[in-house]
Amino acid sequence: MVILKRKGEAYTVPAGKTLEQALRELGILPETVLAVRDGRILPLSHRLEEGEELELVDVISGG
Amino acid sequence: MRCSVCGREAVIKLRHAGLRLCPEHLVARVEKEVASAIRRFRMFSPEERILVAISGGKDSLALWHILAELGYRVDGLYIDLGIAGYSAPSREASEDFARARGLTLHVVSLAAELGASLDELTRLARGKTCSLCGTVKRYLMNKLAWEGEYQALATGHNLDDEAATLLGNVLRWDEGYLARQYPVLPGEGKLVRKVKPMVFLSEREMAAYCLIRGIEYLYQDCPHAEGARSIALKDVLNRLEDRYPSTKISFLRQFLKVRDRFRPPAPVVLHDCPSCGMPTAAEGPCRFCRLKDTVARHASRVTEDRGAAA
Repeated sequence: MVILKRKGEAYTVPAGKTLEQALRELGILPETVLAVRDGRILPLSHRLEEGEELELVDVISGG
Repeated sequence: MRCSVCGREAVIKLRHAGLRLCPEHLVARVEKEVASAIRRFRMFSPEERILVAISGGKDSLALWHILAELGYRVDGLYIDLGIAGYSAPSREASEDFARARGLTLHVVSLAAELGASLDELTRLARGKTCSLCGTVKRYLMNKLAWEGEYQALATGHNLDDEAATLLGNVLRWDEGYLARQYPVLPGEGKLVRKVKPMVFLSEREMAAYCLIRGIEYLYQDCPHAEGARSIALKDVLNRLEDRYPSTKISFLRQFLKVRDRFRPPAPVVLHDCPSCGMPTAAEGPCRFCRLKDTVARHASRVTEDRGAAA
């Protein structure tokens, strides 16, 4: 399984999908976040690997 | 996925620009776009002094970083609005950024300038919080830029901000706002020129730029922004962008081509506020001074009540 963390919440998704597929299944528009692992940005085409833990950074600011 | 420029591994795909970029070329693109907007819209020259409005968020800090990197004479201005749970960390992010780079950051407090924080003002004055916040920020930014003898005031508005503002203006067919929406607003009298050098760069690019450049910004949103119309407008545009890439950039670029067709309802004649001397569209005290008066009257009533109770 893969863990995606966003705003203090953790989502678990199966490995093997691309990041974009996983985001869409979670109902997150890919355009609105950046996925980061160890300080590095991962492309939406990144294939999720078993045991990975990614941080989702929201890019849309409010106000 | 390979970088469209160098063929190395790309980290971001910018569908609206038809590019896949590695970290190095994303940084190069962002800095080039800013430099190009400054030139194209004649925002300012290298000799002029620029004040950047800093919020502690990604856009304003990135803009400050880029302008300093490009060699412009640029200082920052942070307005401490006194928003509980938000202003303290945003101020800290701004001060840390300036300190780490040896840049000059002017910090002013709304409580000191107005007599009340934004949270207090919201309880005392009529109007929505975001509207009051806009009023006091616009006033203080202009006043401090004018008094500090800066030739231009730069803000970190990005493509998503501008497209959302445009959509909001179009939905109301607000001709006055449409006529004024432009990357440069010329200065007039004590109104300092306002510029938006990141107008063609998306939020996603700017967040990626900050992560790559190691710019530590405040991720948190203003608590008052929850449910704000601007966020709903951005959401609509992002859904459209997802289905039809380039929606936002086309919307904005095409608007800029036809913007001249819009005219403000009537030419605005500026007057000097009799209280503070800053420009105002109506005769009599400016909105900021009227708010200041509301705050002062409230404080005086509280003092009287306390005196009577004692």
